[in-house]
Amino acid sequence: MNDRGASGARNGNAILEAEDVLKRFGGIRAVDGATLAVNAGSITALIGPNGAGKTTFFNVITGFYASDGGRARFQGEAILGSPPHSIARLGMVRTFQITKALARMPVIDNMMLAAPAQPGERLTNVIFRPGAVRRREAEVREQALELLEVFDLSKLADQYAGTLSGGQRKLLELARALMTRPRLLLLDEPMAGINPVLGRRLLDHMKRLRADEGVSILFIEHDMEVVMNHSDRVIVMAEGRVIADGEPHEVRNDQAVIDAYLGSGTVSEETL
Amino acid sequence: MEARSLTLGVEESPWRRLRDAADRRPALAALIVLGAVLLVMIVAKGVHDVAQSSVNGLSLGAIYALGAIGLTLVYGILKLVNFAHGDFLTFGAYMAYLVNVTWGLPLVIAIPFAMATTAALGVAFEVVLWRPMRNRHAGLLQLLLTSIGLALVIRSVVQYFWSTDIRLLDVDTTTTVNFLGLLIGRMQLIVIGIGFVVIIAIGLMLRRTLLGKRMRALADDLDLAETAGVDTSRVIIYTWVFAGALAGLAGVLDASVTSLSPNFGFDLLLPIFAAVILGGIGDAYGSLAGGLLLGIVTEWSTLYIDSKWKIAVGFVALIAALIVRPQGIFGKAKAI
Amino acid sequence: MSVLDPAVALPLGIHLNFFTDTGFWTGVGVLAGIYALIALGLQLNVGFTGMTNFGAAGFMAVGAYSMAILVLKVGLSFWLSLPLAMLVAIGFGLLVGLPSLRLRADYFAIATLAMAETVRIIAQNADSLTGGNQGLFCAEGGAGACYNDAWTGVSTTIEGWLQDLGWVNPESLVPLLLVVWVFVLGATLGLRFIQSSPWGRVLRAVREDEDAAEALGKHTLVHKLQSLAISAAIGAFAGFFLALDLATIHPEDFEPLVTFFAFGVLVLGGLASYWGVLIGAVLFWVIIEGTRFIGLGLDETQIAALRFFLVGVTLILLMVFRPQGMFGKREEMVLGE
Repeated sequence: MNDRGASGARNGNAILEAEDVLKRFGGIRAVDGATLAVNAGSITALIGPNGAGKTTFFNVITGFYASDGGRARFQGEAILGSPPHSIARLGMVRTFQITKALARMPVIDNMMLAAPAQPGERLTNVIFRPGAVRRREAEVREQALELLEVFDLSKLADQYAGTLSGGQRKLLELARALMTRPRLLLLDEPMAGINPVLGRRLLDHMKRLRADEGVSILFIEHDMEVVMNHSDRVIVMAEGRVIADGEPHEVRNDQAVIDAYLGSGTVSEETL
Repeated sequence: MEARSLTLGVEESPWRRLRDAADRRPALAALIVLGAVLLVMIVAKGVHDVAQSSVNGLSLGAIYALGAIGLTLVYGILKLVNFAHGDFLTFGAYMAYLVNVTWGLPLVIAIPFAMATTAALGVAFEVVLWRPMRNRHAGLLQLLLTSIGLALVIRSVVQYFWSTDIRLLDVDTTTTVNFLGLLIGRMQLIVIGIGFVVIIAIGLMLRRTLLGKRMRALADDLDLAETAGVDTSRVIIYTWVFAGALAGLAGVLDASVTSLSPNFGFDLLLPIFAAVILGGIGDAYGSLAGGLLLGIVTEWSTLYIDSKWKIAVGFVALIAALIVRPQGIFGKAKAI
Repeated sequence: MSVLDPAVALPLGIHLNFFTDTGFWTGVGVLAGIYALIALGLQLNVGFTGMTNFGAAGFMAVGAYSMAILVLKVGLSFWLSLPLAMLVAIGFGLLVGLPSLRLRADYFAIATLAMAETVRIIAQNADSLTGGNQGLFCAEGGAGACYNDAWTGVSTTIEGWLQDLGWVNPESLVPLLLVVWVFVLGATLGLRFIQSSPWGRVLRAVREDEDAAEALGKHTLVHKLQSLAISAAIGAFAGFFLALDLATIHPEDFEPLVTFFAFGVLVLGGLASYWGVLIGAVLFWVIIEGTRFIGLGLDETQIAALRFFLVGVTLILLMVFRPQGMFGKREEMVLGE
């Protein structure tokens, strides 16, 4: 099986690099030597049939699973083996396939939680530096409200996040991830289960993020229209490995990719 | 481009290989370790002492095993460890007391009575409490606190009618039997006998009968069993019958070699938890093995430390199991 | 015979001196205050951090025994022993937490319960250190220094103040009652303050979904440990006050029953409400201790049994019909599960 992952980072401008990442569950190799790179400032799609190991790969490089082998670097720093919160603080922030809205907290709290550099999260500061804590809180609150406005969620600010609809939760998850001021966003099926209008809005946000703030995005998606028409690069995984990596039109016609999808019976040739 | 078969950092050290082998055949590994410990102890303390404490260990182990298997079967239904289970043992013992001492009938009648009444209690709680709560999708904390409330209710009723006085069943605890050079209490031998007969019967029933297979399936994954078309509500009732009856039996057996007090069942609860967790939660055979193992290890410990510390062995085993290997000796590495 | 005559019984056999025995009710007030403290710590752990901590009795035991051992065996002053004992309790809390925090709710409950029971067994059996089943009260010989000597001095001082204010003959436990409740109020205000901070927000996020909090860059383990440490410190003080109240320290005073009663207080008042804990504690103990006045010819153990029964039934009824307790929010229960 050919391994074309290394060709992706040709211009040496990779924000994320993974080499031979391995993850075993008992006897099964869910991720079987995945090698890929994501260019800074790009919108890159990660696709593949079900069971290809995409979400598992996300889990490994964001520290939620321990890896069984391989290396990964984010902005040049080695990250395999680091705990999730450290990796998030470096600027690589992920969302989850099934949204994790913090249900019994108001939407605004969900947002304010995500802000980085909050002195008030240390107990010593809460007790001994209340002024600094209060000032940052006010800043964070303002930023949160602004961001909610951008996603058209500001009217829901004081409602419990658990009362939001599925689509609203997706938006909240994205907005919340943005509060962390990430450099690389890992989105796990951001379009799943939301209507096309909302989906368009999400895409527009993603593009604006890339244009205005240089945020890089790696997203897992099954919606081929989105993948082919709105991403800069497409990486294809199957059976735990990267089998193709290139621009959408290159990947679309790659025989190995077609085989992988047909073989697993999930997508027909026309769809590609 | 050639495929690179680089698997850095995953060298198979001999230690790692041993661990993997143990993971694959946990029962065998446990037996080997047990055998090794046994040999060391015989060398250190002599066959007689080791044999004597092993007999004690088997009787205690049988009691733990009978308590543990009910708890683990019920876990599959409730999806949580039932804190009221220890008080089922208490209830069973006091029902036996009622028959054996108050009404003066022999133990042979007291035991089935105790098992039947405890089974009925279990079913009653299922119908009145657990099923409605399940239907309302009660959360883990709610169920946990409910089980504690139930434990208090059962214990309080026992205490109300029988006070906190230490009571004894009307059994012969003084006669000893000479068995292969060891002096074993006749009652203890009976306990071991009954215990093991029932354990083997249960083991067979779980493996051979359809009901048994269904109970095991439920204990492992209730939702899966439901989607597979099993009539879960009936199997659930049967499971409570079993859990209750076995807990009642365990209580009577323990009471016949020690004594009764309203707290004694709850005091056994933590070691029974340990047995369940050691054996892997939801795994019926595992809990049997875990119970026996724990009983033996607890009794063996008295060869080294003062017997007043015996209870602590169960606690330490529990804590160690939860920290080191929460899926138990025989369990798969599920997310706990 | 007037209705105030103690021999006259109202329905349920309750005698009217139920309402007038101030010494008795002062004692109840002290107990309510002690349990309010325990439950405040539990509220932080269970209600706000989502950790089902069943080791409360263990924190109390470690605090009380450490204090007494430092005073009686090591010879330190009471005032120095208090903070040191609190540190020991915090250390114990961290020891308990570190290996078990990743366990899910019911396993964590079992682990913490087992650790608390281990403490109690050690207290019961390590005779030379802890006095075993006799308990700890005074230094060897019985006539030497007692650990509550310093307290007796404080108590007398407070009595003096009260008499200056016009209270002619305060019950002996009134000073303790006042000190305990001042503490309870202080702890409540303190907890509410830190709860409303960003630190408290991280705790609530941990309660909701730990993975989400980690994915947002929060070091959840540190926050959980801090929550446990604070609960251990408060529990230690509850232990101290219990030791002063009972004038003795016994392993039996730290049985799992204490933790279960504290949970009863917690759910009665309602999850996620600190003020609710206070009201829950008072209500709980008024009802429980009120059973003493039922003169239906029941003996001691039967009344105790009745008490357990009440607590058990209350727990069940609350969980079935009103899991949010008196002051909790319904959404908090419904949305979460």
